[in-house]
Amino acid sequence: MRTLIDNDYLTMLSRLLIGGMYIVASFYKIIEPGSFAKSIWQYHMVPSSLINLMALILPWLEALIGLAIIFGLAYRGAIWWANLLLVVFIVALSATIVRGIDIDCGCFKAGTSATGPAWKALVFDLGVMLFAVQLWMSRSRKWMFSRA
Amino acid sequence: MALKQVLALLLLSAVIGVAINVISPNGIPLVGKYRTLSSGEGPIVPPSAQTGDPPFIDINQAQLEFEVGGSVFVDARDPDEYLCGTIPGSINIPFENLPEGDLGKYFDSVLSGSSHDPTLVVFCSGEECDLSLHLGRNLRHYGYGNVLIFFGGAREWEKSGLEVERKKECER
Repeated sequence: MRTLIDNDYLTMLSRLLIGGMYIVASFYKIIEPGSFAKSIWQYHMVPSSLINLMALILPWLEALIGLAIIFGLAYRGAIWWANLLLVVFIVALSATIVRGIDIDCGCFKAGTSATGPAWKALVFDLGVMLFAVQLWMSRSRKWMFSRA
Repeated sequence: MALKQVLALLLLSAVIGVAINVISPNGIPLVGKYRTLSSGEGPIVPPSAQTGDPPFIDINQAQLEFEVGGSVFVDARDPDEYLCGTIPGSINIPFENLPEGDLGKYFDSVLSGSSHDPTLVVFCSGEECDLSLHLGRNLRHYGYGNVLIFFGGAREWEKSGLEVERKKECER
């Protein structure tokens, strides 16, 4: 198991997957912060005074995490964020499902039903989490700009 | 080491995010004005609503569309009522006085100032009025995919203490 987790190729694959996902996810949010703010509001979880700030900062955090993981810069910190955000997304999506709020997740695209119901996003995030945890545990530091 | 990177990534995101927002044409205020949610009574839906009608939204959602921007508010009442007091920035498509001829072309010309396939929030005065519903159905029929009906209308808007635009003085 340990050798599998530390495998250089598997680690690189996970980096491309997780990093790519975060970069893609940041696109629409960066271009349309207003729509993303609406998505955040729909979760009814963030104090209203913080919604817009979150809508401005989170997309760039996602983009930077993605770049950092793919290129191997500020790597530990980026992996830390990638896992933390996934946990936050999973908790938020679960809560909306439990509370029966019918929303679009706002994960990748703005607007109604563009990305399907919350449970699909939840299943997706749980799958992605596997790769994120692998990155967390992997000791492979190959193909990185900085090993720190 | 990791903690420093964690904080650095957050700080960098905050700086870039806020800086880009200043120069972006799609910029938003740093602190939005979101109304506290009401008790969750949900949107007002008229008895005449049918399955397949555009979605009905409540005052919270209407205000959100308004604050966030990008949506076009459409007042379905007569010009007189529209001028006397409406949701600021809304445009008037009086459903009872639609012109003869190609309605699709008329809608396109009235809405030409907005983006391609804009989100349209259609409303009239309030619960007793179903012009918004009929106009919403028609807009949809002519290809506008993102139609929302705010059935609480101008009255619920004003009652909630939100800003009203009066283009002329009227007896109230």
